[in-house]
Amino acid sequence: MLLSDIRKNQKLAARRSPIYERNRFAKFMIYFGITFWAAYFVYIGVMLFFAFSEGIPNMEPYHILNCGLPFFLLIDFFMRFLLPTPVQEIKPYLLLPLPKKRVLNALLIQAGLNPFNLFWLFLFVPFAWLSVLRFYGIPGVLGYCVGIWLLMVGNGYWSMLVRVLMRQKFIYILLILPVYGSMALLEFLPETEWTSRFYMDLGEGYIEWNPLAFLGTLAVAIGLAGVNRWVQGKLIYRELARTEDNKVKHISNYSFFERYGIVGEYMRLELKLIFRNKTPKSNFWSFLFIMVMFACALAGDVYGSNNYMNYFICLYCYCVFGLMTLSRIMSFEGNYIDGLMVHKETIYNLLLAKYYLQSIFLIIPFLMMLYPVVTGTVSLLTSAAYLFFTMGPIFATIMQLAVYNDKTAVLNGGFMAKSQGNTMYQTLITLIAFAAPLLIQRMLTFFLPETEAGIALLVIGLATVATHRIWIKNIYVRLMKRRYNNMENFRNTR
Amino acid sequence: MILIHDLKKTYGSKVAVDIPEYTIAEGEILGLVGNNGAGKTTLFRLMLDLLKADSGNVTINDIDVSRSESWKNFTGAYLDESFLIDYLTPEEYFCFVGKMCGFTKAETEERIEAYSRFMADEIIGQKKYIRNLSAGNRQKVGIISALLSRPAVVILDEPFNFLDPSSQSSLKHLLREYNRETCATILVSSHNLTHTTDISTRIAVLEHGVIIRDIDNTEGTASEELEEYFRRE
Repeated sequence: MLLSDIRKNQKLAARRSPIYERNRFAKFMIYFGITFWAAYFVYIGVMLFFAFSEGIPNMEPYHILNCGLPFFLLIDFFMRFLLPTPVQEIKPYLLLPLPKKRVLNALLIQAGLNPFNLFWLFLFVPFAWLSVLRFYGIPGVLGYCVGIWLLMVGNGYWSMLVRVLMRQKFIYILLILPVYGSMALLEFLPETEWTSRFYMDLGEGYIEWNPLAFLGTLAVAIGLAGVNRWVQGKLIYRELARTEDNKVKHISNYSFFERYGIVGEYMRLELKLIFRNKTPKSNFWSFLFIMVMFACALAGDVYGSNNYMNYFICLYCYCVFGLMTLSRIMSFEGNYIDGLMVHKETIYNLLLAKYYLQSIFLIIPFLMMLYPVVTGTVSLLTSAAYLFFTMGPIFATIMQLAVYNDKTAVLNGGFMAKSQGNTMYQTLITLIAFAAPLLIQRMLTFFLPETEAGIALLVIGLATVATHRIWIKNIYVRLMKRRYNNMENFRNTR
Repeated sequence: MILIHDLKKTYGSKVAVDIPEYTIAEGEILGLVGNNGAGKTTLFRLMLDLLKADSGNVTINDIDVSRSESWKNFTGAYLDESFLIDYLTPEEYFCFVGKMCGFTKAETEERIEAYSRFMADEIIGQKKYIRNLSAGNRQKVGIISALLSRPAVVILDEPFNFLDPSSQSSLKHLLREYNRETCATILVSSHNLTHTTDISTRIAVLEHGVIIRDIDNTEGTASEELEEYFRRE
């Protein structure tokens, strides 16, 4: 009952959102994407069966797949990071005559019943149909699917726990180290392979409807839901008391930028925005983490002599941070846009400051690229070309979103914050923005030899950097033309 | 001088603002009163170019606010908390606004000092971000930032909201003194008729976006008329 009432309110919230109409296009694209991936999963399921049957004939394909279940769980865990961070819209129910625990239980059950937990079945059902059916019939396939679903439910709670905690402090990402570290240890210690053996037995348990397998998985899922409930219960009080930064011990002033006048002042403001608010801060560390991962992949020579992959990784190492950050340009400012607009030319200076700061941040990937340059994985010319190409055309393109972004982003979306479910539009734009640099780079390298392509990128980059004041002014002028529309939408989405 | 000419703003069939002609002379303190939804905040937003008018315009000292930004050099305003950058400390926010107005840190601090009584030791030196201040203290930060550059035009929406009684009294005194010292034009909206009549030299009653009464209050005699009007309403 409570569950359906909460669900009804959530649907109303989505439908009555001021940007519902625009989101419909984004939703269409998302549904299209889901269909594509579902079909792809079915394809993978079928292909895995044939690959395992032919590649390892002395083992049943489902045994091999079950050995790899931890790998699927790990992918699923990280895939969930692409979904909006879970927030429990519990605040409206807190003063109603309902036990808090009951409301939390309802919200957690709802998370468990999330259709996303069924998505992997697109892979596992065709696979089981081909490999399990002939030995165990339909009950075997059914048992296997129920088991996999339960496993994904548990994994969903585990992912929720980490993401909710990361929202408080990014450092909680380290929670994954002991979990996955111990699993890896149990697998890779000499002559153990305990992890894969355990999952192989577990999978077989599902197929054979072994009650222990189901009860064990269910117990883990319920246990993780319980931990979530305990953590989230604590967070309710913490957020209601607003004790987090009530007394600031050290106030960073970033005085270095004082010498750069008004633009310097905005650069300071930008840094304070990033480091004093949960959402931008969490984004900053997450994007930096992704950037470092890219750099490590290059430094570790993961792709060997595959030039295409090395250059792809190098390019994204430079642009991933800027793309992710600037795709939400002006969205955080939506919280106080009225205050900015009553001062003269503030937005122009703000855009300049954002550009300069993002350009300064590019020093990080440049330094990280030095090692692959020294080892010869990528050339210095390519590294410099990608640096300026990012600072130039890529930033110039993504910063155009300043004109069109008109949805306020929550600065400190706590655990009880308003749902951020309306981010599909921005997600879509980001995805498009991500594909563009690769296309340009591919086109250039297709038509020109490597060195010439690098020089072309460098020249294009330098020219765009040199003219940054002109194109930023252009963005500012266009933004000012749309200012009434944007300001109204910012107000409506606060 | 502020001139409103044929200003109209509607939301669907609802008229938010409809003012054919209205002039606010230099040095006046105009109190804007009206029931909820009368259009007070919408009018202020139109005057500050935060909203697009369906027709007409507002000029401040002969500058059309929607065509030029130069009126921002001599206009200070605080409408609501969306004017505040709440992840700054009050000191940082004042410095930020000061810098926008071309002041050094020392100059800003000197100007802030003039409002120390109004701040009552609850704002400066607290090592708190604005978001962690009480609603009343956030309101004070907004009001002081609007007055920081000593602008010739001041627009404040419901400035007495959230303030404790002594702060309300202090604000009345502050606004009157500010007007006396600078001859600034001050526009204040409020639901509190007593405060409005106490400080305003002129009072406009707004209903359904239309100014239905324009009462001279230089002698402080508007309260009876206002009381009678709102009792009848």
